[in-house]
Amino acid sequence: MGEKIVGMAAALLHGLYGFLHLSALAPVLDTVVEAVVMFAFVAVFVMFLVWMERKVSAHMQSRIGPNRVGPLGLLQTLADAIKLTIKEDVKPVKRDKVPYFIAPIVAFVATFMGLVVIPFDKGVVVQDLNVGILYVIAITGFTVVAILTAGWSSNNKYALLGGFRSAAQIVSYEIPLVMSLVPVIMVTGTLSLKSIVDYQAQAGYWFVLPQLMAFLIFLTSATAEANRAPFDIPEAESELIGGFHTEYSGVKFAMFFLGEYIAMVVSASVATAVFLGGWLAPPFLGFLHLPGFVWFVLKILFMIYLIMAFRWTFPRLRVDQLMDFGWKVLIPLSIINILVTGFVILKGL
Amino acid sequence: MGVIHYFLGILKGFGNLLGGLSVTLRYFFKKTNTQQYPEERLPLPERSRSMIKLIYDGEKDMFNCVACLMCMKACPNSCIKLEGVRMPDGKRRMTTFKLDFSTCIFCGYCVEACGFDALTFVSEEYENSVYKRGSLLQDEQAMKWVRPAHLKPAEPAPPAGA
Repeated sequence: MGEKIVGMAAALLHGLYGFLHLSALAPVLDTVVEAVVMFAFVAVFVMFLVWMERKVSAHMQSRIGPNRVGPLGLLQTLADAIKLTIKEDVKPVKRDKVPYFIAPIVAFVATFMGLVVIPFDKGVVVQDLNVGILYVIAITGFTVVAILTAGWSSNNKYALLGGFRSAAQIVSYEIPLVMSLVPVIMVTGTLSLKSIVDYQAQAGYWFVLPQLMAFLIFLTSATAEANRAPFDIPEAESELIGGFHTEYSGVKFAMFFLGEYIAMVVSASVATAVFLGGWLAPPFLGFLHLPGFVWFVLKILFMIYLIMAFRWTFPRLRVDQLMDFGWKVLIPLSIINILVTGFVILKGL
Repeated sequence: MGVIHYFLGILKGFGNLLGGLSVTLRYFFKKTNTQQYPEERLPLPERSRSMIKLIYDGEKDMFNCVACLMCMKACPNSCIKLEGVRMPDGKRRMTTFKLDFSTCIFCGYCVEACGFDALTFVSEEYENSVYKRGSLLQDEQAMKWVRPAHLKPAEPAPPAGA
């Protein structure tokens, strides 16, 4: 289904190029169109996610949440976005001008680029790289540079502390994040997200069952990677005001905000593709004949609901507890997981 | 021993996290407690103290107030201004009554001091915001209130010796 739609859209687009005598530029234009489509999808999806987060948190606290702007308050985020864009851009006088300007752009672009390899449906992927997982982890790791730059260039001690904390946290949690994906790569023998989903389609099971431990470790580390509570010490508002984005306002703040939510979407997408069978229909629900990308989005929403539930359930960790948890619990567990998986593969069980 | 404790600790911690998640999940599906104020209003108890009113007796077609000035004397902020006249039958009647709610602290001393069941707190009027400070100076017509039939006047206290 998804493949057909994409094929039709591509045919239409190439017809349009021919009509406008731009066929020679097709590869460039294709990239532009893909980027615009992805950005539109992500912008709308993030707006929905912000609304969802506010609704989820509200109902967990016996409140109603936004319900005035639009039906069920769905347009609340749009109103907030308009407010953020027309807001005055307040800048510290003694900032480091160039890094201060670049940091939010990097924070947004780094996470946005992670979406390139996400397979939304069979054949619906911007570019299926054969090093997909490696690419996602590497490119989303750029956010730490953005956060550190933002903290440094703001010339504000709270922002700087937030940046430092974020660097320490992401360096610590990147390791279990990668190591939780290693067992799946060992079993499938590929780094391409599309091939991993194909493997699950052939095998008839999702990796969440045999690799439950890896799934949980990935979920925890992904939450920490996205700087979300209970791992939000880089922006712990009770200690650091806003952390690295203390001195940012208006559109630049919106970029950081967008980056955080896109990071969440990317993590949830990777988890969906690797552990939850990507665009495959869940067992016993195949009779619904929903298109693959609907299942994919539903699974992403489930993952994001989990991450949101973490945020509104668990209290924030202290810095030393955070390091303890990362180095003394997650990393040993993921190593044990790799060893056990390797043993099982070796014995051919 | 240490290794077993390590894994038991992780298991226990994981169980605790699941317990916490189950609590928030339960609340997620529970009914919310929010009152949507302008559309929904909480019913207030009948004797809650929202606004001070002058009781108007519909049957006798006059206020209960006899202008004894006890409320004026009891008021700590002197926000009550009150005048009365002696009627031909020898009884005193209130002619003008002004209460400045911009200085009133709703202490209720005037209601307590009133010996003629003429001043009272009412529950239903609690939206007392106005656009101008002067609008808070209310006269007897603004404070006129007829006691509904289901609300009885307070019983007089029994004599001290009884």
